[in-house]
Amino acid sequence: MSDVTATVDTDEPEVNLPPEPPSLPPGEWMRKNLFSSFFNSVLTLLSLALFLFIFRGMVNFAFENAERDWDSVRANLRLFMAFAYPESQFVRVWVSLGIVVSLVGLSAGIWRSDGVVSARKIATICFGAGSAIIAAALLVKGPLQRDENGELIFTEDFEAIHGPWADGLSTRLWWFVVGAILLGIAAAIWFGLGDRRRKTFVPTVKLVYGLIGFLIATLWFVRWGHFTGQPEPGTPYADRDSLVAMSTRVPWTVMWVLTGIAYQIGKLVEGVRVVRAVIIGLWAFAPFFIFWVILRDPSFDYGYVFSVDVPMYLAFAVVGSAIMWALTRPGLGEIGRVAAFGLVLVAAFTFVGGFFGWFGMLQKARFSFVLLAVFALIAHNFAGDKLTRRNFVFGWLGVLGVMHYLITVINTPSTLDLTADMFLGGFMFSIFAAVFGLMLSFPLGVILALARTSTLPIFRIMATIFIEVVRGIPFITVLFFFSIMLPLFLPPGMEVAEIAAVWVGLVLFSAAYLAENVRGGLQSIRRGQFEAADAVGLTASQRTGLIVLPQALRVSIPPLVGQAIASYKETSLFAIIGIFDFLRVANSVVPNQSQPINFVGHKREGLLFVSLIYWIGSYAMSKYSQKLEKKLGVGER
Amino acid sequence: MTDTSTLASTQASRPPWYRDATVVKWFTQVVALLLVVGALVFLAVEAGDNLEAKSIATDFDFLNINPGFNISEGIDVDPDTGGRALWVGMVNTLRLAIAGLFVATVLGVLIGISRLSSNWMVNKAASAYIETLRNIPVLVQILFYAAVLGGLGRLTPESSTLGGFVYVSAKGIGLPRVFASEGFYQWLVVLLIGVVVGTIVRRRRVAQQEATGQITYPNLYFLGVVALFGLVGWFIHPVFGWLGGVFDGIGDAWDSIPEAVMQLLLTALAVGAAATWIKRFLDSKRTPAGLAKLTDDDIFRMIFSAVGALIAVLVIWVVWPGLSSWIVNSGSDFWHWLGDKFGDGRSGQPIDAMKPTIEGQGTIWNYGPQGLTMTIGFAAMFLGVTLYTAAFIAEIVRGGILAVPKGQTEAAAAIGLSRAQALRQVILPQAFRVSLPPLGNQYLNLTKNTSLGIAVGYADVVNVGSTVLNQTGRALPVIAIWMLFYLSCSLTISVIVNWFNVRMKIVER
Repeated sequence: MSDVTATVDTDEPEVNLPPEPPSLPPGEWMRKNLFSSFFNSVLTLLSLALFLFIFRGMVNFAFENAERDWDSVRANLRLFMAFAYPESQFVRVWVSLGIVVSLVGLSAGIWRSDGVVSARKIATICFGAGSAIIAAALLVKGPLQRDENGELIFTEDFEAIHGPWADGLSTRLWWFVVGAILLGIAAAIWFGLGDRRRKTFVPTVKLVYGLIGFLIATLWFVRWGHFTGQPEPGTPYADRDSLVAMSTRVPWTVMWVLTGIAYQIGKLVEGVRVVRAVIIGLWAFAPFFIFWVILRDPSFDYGYVFSVDVPMYLAFAVVGSAIMWALTRPGLGEIGRVAAFGLVLVAAFTFVGGFFGWFGMLQKARFSFVLLAVFALIAHNFAGDKLTRRNFVFGWLGVLGVMHYLITVINTPSTLDLTADMFLGGFMFSIFAAVFGLMLSFPLGVILALARTSTLPIFRIMATIFIEVVRGIPFITVLFFFSIMLPLFLPPGMEVAEIAAVWVGLVLFSAAYLAENVRGGLQSIRRGQFEAADAVGLTASQRTGLIVLPQALRVSIPPLVGQAIASYKETSLFAIIGIFDFLRVANSVVPNQSQPINFVGHKREGLLFVSLIYWIGSYAMSKYSQKLEKKLGVGER
Repeated sequence: MTDTSTLASTQASRPPWYRDATVVKWFTQVVALLLVVGALVFLAVEAGDNLEAKSIATDFDFLNINPGFNISEGIDVDPDTGGRALWVGMVNTLRLAIAGLFVATVLGVLIGISRLSSNWMVNKAASAYIETLRNIPVLVQILFYAAVLGGLGRLTPESSTLGGFVYVSAKGIGLPRVFASEGFYQWLVVLLIGVVVGTIVRRRRVAQQEATGQITYPNLYFLGVVALFGLVGWFIHPVFGWLGGVFDGIGDAWDSIPEAVMQLLLTALAVGAAATWIKRFLDSKRTPAGLAKLTDDDIFRMIFSAVGALIAVLVIWVVWPGLSSWIVNSGSDFWHWLGDKFGDGRSGQPIDAMKPTIEGQGTIWNYGPQGLTMTIGFAAMFLGVTLYTAAFIAEIVRGGILAVPKGQTEAAAAIGLSRAQALRQVILPQAFRVSLPPLGNQYLNLTKNTSLGIAVGYADVVNVGSTVLNQTGRALPVIAIWMLFYLSCSLTISVIVNWFNVRMKIVER
């Protein structure tokens, strides 16, 4: 990956931009683009009328509608974010989020994007948004009439009564103010910069960071009218407008600052040699750490840890290091391969023995044997000077340590009183499932793609069958399969939460699709590249890892981002099989809420909110992918 | 990296057997295969034990017993067997998918072309549509449409709009319906003859145009002939009533095929296919200098096809002997079903139409037997998958048109084609060729997305299947049926799209 991004880092982003045509005066622009012919004029007017009609319908649907109660969203933001994670333990959710945003900041600092937005574009967006807000304020119906208790007044046909349209202008003064401010910003940029507006650029990273910062800053000044937490039993919520989410402003600010600091640190350490590998390792480690360490806080039995876990690690570490050191000796030749193969047999034998119950052994030891065999198999690639060999041994120690630690943590009961399905929900679950699922399915997809394009027929057939079957069935059947069947496949005594089971389904499902994207990239590599690699004497694995895959992945980045968007959207399907994810909160939880405030039947507000959040994520990613596509110049080199 | 000396020394002599590329290659593969099979067997054994321990049955008996529930909509709302219930679900899925495919294509093409319009307003409206709808998960959209439609008014005679042609209510949406009436199949026969005759006429006209250079309107003639036959057939279709007896006869003849004969036939088919494939493969390896040396890969391919045929034979005779009788039965059922559609007495008009009506029953207004009724579930699913897929199709269409090089337009103008002609005969065919494979993918996606009916209570195959699953506890068989159903749908669409794709391909010299 690092090679891919390194090649696109250019210092002068403007170079690739095509020269823009000079902007026409408004009258001429309209004549050219809107009223060039009679037919075009009719088309313009018709689509304008249709657009206004739909826009007005949507605005009136969302606001000033007796059936809407946006408090159903505002009061339940916590449910939307993390579902029913215990109130007293909620700091764990924030810590998890903090880890993720720190990693995001670090990665953004290291793989710095040089994306920029021109001032002209910012002005255009501000202008559009400001006009839309003012138009909405003008188009919406008059305010709903309320009696002195604040209850809505209805006619005999249960139709809510709207006041005169002009009343709305004064009650919606805020809309006009916001719209005017946006228009003012647009005008300031447009006329303040003059002709320089096209050549003035703001880095996208700073723009996004600043915008989020602005939103967080409003938490300190604007009383966002939502409540957090549960009320004391027996006491109703206080006045609906006075309770404000003051509890979230501190953590959000911390998140914001943390991201900024991480970004700066990332920029500082960018040049360090192994930092990219370390960050990728941290990303891979993060989901396990968050799920099993932070969110369910294992209660270690230290007696067991010191009597069993630590000695086992030390034994494997010492013996394994010696083996690795020996196997990376240059000029070892055939003996190394025979030894590695022997270790593979040992690893296989531990599992076979376990299956027949021949000798008792902790499962952790079996996995350690497998890891030993894997490292022995790749050891010959690290034969060389002492430094390379030492690094390889350290790599072995590190990976073994992480694996032992995780197995210990996973096997240890939680200190938190959580049922598995209440574990984490809402948006946090959706986004974690999407991000970490994609992270695991990516290597799997690459392996599947390599197997499918391989010259080894049995691998090819197996990969093809898997990919085609998975791609031929809908995701929902995969989810059903995993939520029902996976628990049955496990040996007795081993249990898996439904969340984990369906998450495995997501990983396997998106791996099949990713594999097809990577395969497209692999097939675009010219034959000459393979032949050249063979000609300079690279082995098959070196050819794949150093020549073919980097080029193939570069080509397949845009479709891979597309697949990432698809996976992100697919997490919404978890709602169907009863996981309390983001969508299910909107669709089933909030509309059935009658305490402390009656929100029964308020489904559409939540669904609109969910749509908006999903839309922001997917839209941002798709824009990013389009930019990337242009930048990589796929097919043009 | 460092053993260049070993490399040099091994090049001189043949490597030992454990370093032989072929041996290592096949050894690795066989070991990997054994590992995968072993893991699967291990899982299956575990699953078997667990199923037994939890006393979950995995038989298919539920297909033949009463499922004990009603289905909200479909060809049979009160199915008498589980298999019938699943079949109703499948028909519902197909109904939704096929209707969605057509509407999504039309809408997508329209929006895709609008997206390229030089009119700023139209262009932006199309791009707003695309960017909004394709970035929101389809399930969220479906649920939203269901929530909105569910909030509509009650169904009363007053809820009709457009002069009684459309009913919109929380009970569903009623539309006028055009349907095949009594003489439809007989009329279809006449129309089929018309198509055959029309094709002959069209070929003649094309040949004439190519020979003389005169414009002969072959497509217009084709449509004219078909329309003529359709018109005439409208009145003379009872003539073909005798076909019913013929089809019944074929059905009877089909029924009398003994099971063993069918088994032999299928065996011959499997073995013959494998043998033909191997023979062709060997032929392709034949060079003027004799048979080329076969690599291990080639031998594997031949063994693989032979093993495939062997497995097919095993399935036919041992694993599933009922397959042959099933084929015999369903074949004869099909012919008898077709025979029922014809008859000497049938003389009604082939196609009929009706307005939606409602009739009052008790306190709830129910739809009458007439008209086309979309339940809220169907309408939400239909709107969801169609609008969502249309956004993707629009992008594909736009990409396809943009992919046609500008030189093509200029060349068309240079040889004097009008703009419309250039669009129809030069640009769109090429754009279609580019967009066909991704379009096929979108059709697959649409079909797969129809599986979300369970979220809004639409009785598709997944919804019905999960009800069956909950009632009978037969998880594995139901999931297997789902997978088979969707795999065959996907396969059908792939085959059709590929067939078009091969036809559309540029013929290269």
